[in-house]
Amino acid sequence: MGETALVTDAEPAVIRVHGLRKSYRKRLAVDGVDLVVQRGEIFGLIGPDGAGKSSLMKTIAGVLSFDAGDLEVFGVRLDSEAAAERIKHRLGFMPQGLGLNLYPELSVEENVDFFARLRLVADQELGERKTKLLAMTRLDKFRDRPMKQLSGGMKQKLGLVCTLIHEPALIVLDEPTTGVDPVSRRDFWMILSELVAEKGITALVSTAYMDEASRFHRMAMLHGGNVLATGTPESIRALAPGSQVLVEAEQPLAALACLRSTFPQVEMKGAYFSIFVDEAEAGRAKNLVQAALSDLKYNVLEVDAPELEDAFIALLRRRGLVSAVSEAPAPASSQQAAPTPQPGGETAIEARALTRDFGAFRAVDKVSFGVSPGEIFGLLGANGAGKTTVIKMLTGILVPSAGSGQVAGGDVRTGGVAIKARIGYMSQAFSLYLDLSVLENIRLYAGIYGLSAKEARSRIDWVIEMAGLGGHETERPADLSMGMRQRLALGCALVHRPQVLFLDEPTSGVDPVGRRRFWDILFRLAREENVAILVTTHYMSEAEHCDRLALMYAGRIVADAPPATLKHEVENEAGRLLELTVADAARALALLRGAGYSGAYLHGDRVRLLSRDPEGDSERIHTLLEAAGGGLPAASMHTRSLSMEDVFVYQVTALERAAQGAPT
Amino acid sequence: MNLRRVRAVAHKEWREVLRDRLFFTLAFVLPAMFMLLFGYGLSLDVENVPFAVVDHDRSAASRDYAYRFIGSRYFDFQGYAADERALDPLLRDNRIRVAIVIPPRFEENLLAGRAARVQTLIDGTLPSRAATTKGYVSAINAAASRERLADYLAQRRGLPPEVARARLEPVQLEVRYLYNQSLSSLHSLAAKLVMLILMFVPPLLTAVGVVREKESGSIYNIYASTVSRGEFLVGKLAPYVAISAVNVIVLSMIATLVFGAPFKGGPVFFYAASVLFVACTTAIGLLVSLLVRTQIAATLVTVILTLVPALDYSGFFMPVASLSADGQVMAHLLPAMYYTNIVVGSFLKGVGLESLWLELLVLAGYTLLLFTVGYVLFRKRPRS
Repeated sequence: MGETALVTDAEPAVIRVHGLRKSYRKRLAVDGVDLVVQRGEIFGLIGPDGAGKSSLMKTIAGVLSFDAGDLEVFGVRLDSEAAAERIKHRLGFMPQGLGLNLYPELSVEENVDFFARLRLVADQELGERKTKLLAMTRLDKFRDRPMKQLSGGMKQKLGLVCTLIHEPALIVLDEPTTGVDPVSRRDFWMILSELVAEKGITALVSTAYMDEASRFHRMAMLHGGNVLATGTPESIRALAPGSQVLVEAEQPLAALACLRSTFPQVEMKGAYFSIFVDEAEAGRAKNLVQAALSDLKYNVLEVDAPELEDAFIALLRRRGLVSAVSEAPAPASSQQAAPTPQPGGETAIEARALTRDFGAFRAVDKVSFGVSPGEIFGLLGANGAGKTTVIKMLTGILVPSAGSGQVAGGDVRTGGVAIKARIGYMSQAFSLYLDLSVLENIRLYAGIYGLSAKEARSRIDWVIEMAGLGGHETERPADLSMGMRQRLALGCALVHRPQVLFLDEPTSGVDPVGRRRFWDILFRLAREENVAILVTTHYMSEAEHCDRLALMYAGRIVADAPPATLKHEVENEAGRLLELTVADAARALALLRGAGYSGAYLHGDRVRLLSRDPEGDSERIHTLLEAAGGGLPAASMHTRSLSMEDVFVYQVTALERAAQGAPT
Repeated sequence: MNLRRVRAVAHKEWREVLRDRLFFTLAFVLPAMFMLLFGYGLSLDVENVPFAVVDHDRSAASRDYAYRFIGSRYFDFQGYAADERALDPLLRDNRIRVAIVIPPRFEENLLAGRAARVQTLIDGTLPSRAATTKGYVSAINAAASRERLADYLAQRRGLPPEVARARLEPVQLEVRYLYNQSLSSLHSLAAKLVMLILMFVPPLLTAVGVVREKESGSIYNIYASTVSRGEFLVGKLAPYVAISAVNVIVLSMIATLVFGAPFKGGPVFFYAASVLFVACTTAIGLLVSLLVRTQIAATLVTVILTLVPALDYSGFFMPVASLSADGQVMAHLLPAMYYTNIVVGSFLKGVGLESLWLELLVLAGYTLLLFTVGYVLFRKRPRS
């Protein structure tokens, strides 16, 4: 803290936090936080689960008492319940949990009406605002639908409408995008950015997704109840100067060993390594990587500015809050002698036109793909796209309505028992027994899979080492960090040496450092032990770790290729991403849309659009903004490489448009 | 207190209860079902006890003796068994609960003026039922002995049988049970069941209804808004009191129409007292909801906190006067006993405000106290 000077403005700050502390019984949640949020800002709180975001937001919203420190909202000191009541007419608060604060039995309109009546909004105003907000969120067609029948993205937007219906001056949104698919997430941010710009609302928003940081005007990075850094996304990135070097190597395992011995932050992304080098200058960063790889065959593909997540981890590392990021065991120590050999060319997972109907609803529609041994295959899709149903059919839990499939040599229709013996499965819930110790959990799974006593002992040792649980054997999972719990669950799923591993959203709720260690383990499983891995995730940044990705939409697979290929396809089809940094983004956006750039959208305080002719468009936009005058001509423009999220959103919106445009 | 906000909360709550299938069941189906099931299952009267007879004598006298049991409305004759060994499996499988064993030479002994011994085997698994059964057997046996004695007296002295009987029993006791003339345990039980159900269903509904808002996070809509604590509590709890007020009528109708309990008191007094009582138990639910975090915990705590005292310290099974000294103190501290008095008074005794005003006053005080504590404990800015 203290890196950024507080903005001294004539206008008082909306939120002023000083030395705030909050603990629950023994657990310290917020440990001396200082923050200032100005009027009209979208201020982000970013950090992993357990960083203290929720507690901080609740105290600011006046719905949670705190132990020590000073807290002022709208100039009112929130030192008592009575004081907190005085700010509530100007405040909207949306707690964590997708649509959980809404009333499932009430319709969309009844939900909005309830929030409005609670706030004594006059009927006429309510009618006007409701019409506008529901139209903006495209919920107007679903006014009479019970909230429980809405999709995740719609629930989230309804939550926003309900929070905004009394036109608060400050909205506090706790992880509004967690668990929502990327298309709905982007939609949500656009609506929020536009409303904030239009009404001059101040928004305090938290997120567990590092890649959402660029949506914020300013932000605070939280870790373990502390503020690690405050400022604009750029200024925070600048706190941990470095470069990201992308390398492709012929012998990935050897290369990994070399890189690991030199650099603390090395990630595998499909066929590439992404290395964070503590050297901002591109040339020198590249030289450092080349020196480390010395005599190996490799190819440096790209040197880029690091992602915020890398900067976050680098910051933690520099402050001594995490030791080394990649603590996975060295390759030699793992059981290289016993990889599960696969006959060449055979696929470990094969789906052929798999279809599943639930009544009249077709959840999965003719899905076909294959996963080879040693391949990490990612299944991406919005909530309800059919990912989990596909996994259930492949693991023999659910019988397909049509189509066929092979998993680890067994037929999914008839070989259920054989398949279950040969695969590992790990769900989002981690399926651990919280009252059994670490050792007892592993032993239980060894027993379930019928391992001999000798084999069980050796596998237990392997799991403890793989998961880095040495010294924690007698602890209960409830006392472990989410990352450790996740690795224990993975170990349990691997205790019987499966040839195929299914992971259903395995990294939900795990902090970035834990997620990286997890992916490390997956990479080694695939490369060293030749395990075929099928994984679903809603972290788009994680999708890049996969060798191959399939996008699911409405029960169908609409794209299936390596991540880089998917990005190239979109760039070829729709053009490059053009980002515009400008003082008055809302006005620039209106101007661009008026000039025919209908796909332009607000991204934090920037305007983005896809352009097939970046240079030509840059010039045209410059001319356009110049003609408009004001603060607009000072705009700067860059092209950016597409993220996986851009690809996903592009593909799905294209499909949605096609579906809507189809003759009825 | 802004009525618009109260109405908004109450309206929302009401709609949720009506539309949520589980909640609807809890509110409207469970109480009536509980009443019916409990009422049918809990009758304390012992009638139609299944029994068998082993007759080793096979004489006119032994048959005559056995027919005294066979003809009784308290016993349900299952047949003759060959010997005692044949009784074992019957008793074990609950096909009979009593057996009468008449020994050989039963008639011979009687005619010779010697005492004849008859054995009865009674299933003692439920002591109260066994004791009642033994009472029946003894009574029938005593009647048989008395009749033989009367016959003997009549023969020897040449008296008419009635006179002989009168000589044998010079003082006769005539019993008349008040308030429950037929001494049917079901009548008084049905009335008390109304108490039992109104003791635990309203707090269950309330506790679950409030806690599920805590569990889902929708309580933050309340915390973060301008609605005051009082407005929220009134709006939130009013529907539950209203539901329970409907249940008072439903349950009373089941007690009288289905179980045949009389209703002798004033309906207006009873209804007013009942609404006060459900307001009181609703407040218990509110307190539970403030102490727990999950719906499961709310259910368990409510059931333990309400059902146990309502069964043990209310006069439900055992009159409060016959409880131990500690038990009596307990009973006086809990609201169940006072409402039991009101229920019994209204259904069976036909008394009203003139003799139950103290009970009403205690309940009113209780309700006020619970709501006050609930209001003080409910925080819009809690510690966790």
